[in-house]
Amino acid sequence: MSEPDLIARVLAGDRIAARELYDAHSPRVFRLAFRLTGDSALAREFTQDTFVRAFGQLPKFRGDSALSTWLHRITVTVVANAMRKVKRFREREADLEDVHPIGSDGPGVDPVLRERLHRAIADLPEIYRTTVIMHDIEGYTHTEIAEVLGVAEGTCKSRLSQARAQLRAALSDLAPEYDT
Amino acid sequence: MTDERFDALMRDAAHTFRTPPEADFEGMWTEIERRSSATTDQPLRSRWSSARRAWLAIAATLVVGIALGRASMMIGRGSPLRASATPAVVARAPRADSGATFASNPYEAETSRYLGQTAALLASLPSEGKTERGNEQFVARAGDLLTTTRLLLDSPASDDPTMRNLLEDLELVLAQVVRLPNNHSRTELDLINRALEQRDVIPRLRTAVSDNSAN
Repeated sequence: MSEPDLIARVLAGDRIAARELYDAHSPRVFRLAFRLTGDSALAREFTQDTFVRAFGQLPKFRGDSALSTWLHRITVTVVANAMRKVKRFREREADLEDVHPIGSDGPGVDPVLRERLHRAIADLPEIYRTTVIMHDIEGYTHTEIAEVLGVAEGTCKSRLSQARAQLRAALSDLAPEYDT
Repeated sequence: MTDERFDALMRDAAHTFRTPPEADFEGMWTEIERRSSATTDQPLRSRWSSARRAWLAIAATLVVGIALGRASMMIGRGSPLRASATPAVVARAPRADSGATFASNPYEAETSRYLGQTAALLASLPSEGKTERGNEQFVARAGDLLTTTRLLLDSPASDDPTMRNLLEDLELVLAQVVRLPNNHSRTELDLINRALEQRDVIPRLRTAVSDNSAN
């Protein structure tokens, strides 16, 4: 079934269609929410918020962009708003970095350097962090990020470039050691 | 640091930075459904079918009420002519005919039951440490009462301004209760309690319960 048909069924009150839509998109939404927050409880909450809001606003969805883009835009907005409201988030985030930072070990990367990079990404200003996470970590294209964030593609590229420069600067004291 | 080295680090980060854990998608869906159905939009439910069920229930109450009213009038007065009064007239008949009390306003019984249940619910606002299951049951009951509140607001039961004000305040409080998350904090409960206090809801609710019982 095509996505427009699925959306039409959801709008007609079909709960099975709503579940299909959720099944198709929730893994990516949760993944994005987790990458942005680093906290599984918050990611769960924001995923729920995203879908509650999306189902509520679905009648307003015009189909100008892909549904996934629209959902990810809601996710980023939900996360950004919540992070601004929850003041304790940053402290909590810092603690959680010690809990969730390391996944499967990639070969040839020093754990200290990896940890420093993870912390540097987490410490980036929000607009840069979101761009880096979406592009370098989650593999979104500049076009997709621009649509989700509602900025020009050039702005997105510029933000990524500046974000990377900040990351390199954050690792600069380790650079001589790891360039050999 | 060379570009190659930095790119390698970023590629590594794609696999190691905040690697998403296993997620309980089923549990999230349950919560999404619950929250969606608690809102007025009700996007995941058939709005038509839920509204139809509710109105059918009210219509059934009305029909039974009118039938009882007619029957009691016939028994009480023994006049077939009076018993043929129109339903509208019967529904507004004075309460002097005690046998027709319930029939005189079919909403009274429902309102009375609703007020009692709401008073009981608000008197047992969950504590901070309530279990998840206990909280779910509590919120589900609040959701049912919220639906009833809205139906009563659209019914003749809210013709009385005092009752209407009370129902509007209860709608607000119940909507807050319905949104209580499982791991709600003390602050969220305080907000509800503050709303109850500021609007003097509990004393007004008790008064309404006793008034309805007296009727």
